[in-house]
Amino acid sequence: MDMTAGLPAATEQRSLPGDFAIWIFIYAELLVFGVFFLAYAFARSHNVELFDAQQRFLDRNTGAINTLVLITSSFLVVRAVNAIRRDAAAVCARWLTAAIACGGIFVALKLGEFHAKFAAGVTLSTNTFYMFYLSLTFFHFMHVLMGMVILAVVAVKARRGAYSAASHTGVETGASYWHMVDLVWIVLFPLVYVMH
Amino acid sequence: MKADAATRRADVTALGVWLALCGLTVATWLVGQAGVGGAAVVAALMLSVLVKGQMVVDFYMGLKRVRGPWRWVVTGWLVAVLTLIGVAYWLGGH
Repeated sequence: MDMTAGLPAATEQRSLPGDFAIWIFIYAELLVFGVFFLAYAFARSHNVELFDAQQRFLDRNTGAINTLVLITSSFLVVRAVNAIRRDAAAVCARWLTAAIACGGIFVALKLGEFHAKFAAGVTLSTNTFYMFYLSLTFFHFMHVLMGMVILAVVAVKARRGAYSAASHTGVETGASYWHMVDLVWIVLFPLVYVMH
Repeated sequence: MKADAATRRADVTALGVWLALCGLTVATWLVGQAGVGGAAVVAALMLSVLVKGQMVVDFYMGLKRVRGPWRWVVTGWLVAVLTLIGVAYWLGGH
């Protein structure tokens, strides 16, 4: 029996993907990050020389690699959602596991970056630039960790057959959160690592 | 079967979006490596972020075909944040 018969296809979706509550959470998170980004930008406008000088000490290569890693993880999550819409739960779980692995790469690279800064004696009170750099990137880092936990729970449930083409709100909910984490980093990378 | 075909098409779209996002990210990194700045560079980077963000919103978050204001809320967030970042950089000299 084709469980997908009569269901709206991926490209015909008209309602929000996932649980409605996650979207309230996502919009609230975007608001918080938005305020954070603007605080950074306007603080920079009063300390241009300091921000531009300190930005040169950031590891831009790692920042770019982490952007590619998060973008790739988002692509893998899309594949997972499309797989469950085809009723392929095991395939969905595999795509999610690959996305979590990308999250692990991001975490490892970010920890390396934090370690290098702390080893160089950088703290939140070093200067205004590093106060923003450390707090902004650590705040985002915590969201990556939370997203990995959410994806792991969804992957385990998918492997156990908890989702199907007819019922996969949980997969879409986890996916939506992960894409928000990706979206925020897409703004953060050029703002903090590149623009001057 | 109809859903199968649609999700296969969505897979192809997602791959195209991924390639575009990677390309724009590499371009951003190259700008950083070149060490260039100024109003035109900031504007180009903000435009690049807007394009990347909108692609994530439309094709990864799946808001492109969602009814209601949900897509425009996120697009509005992107436009407002990027515009104000541009204003802040302009106030800072460039």
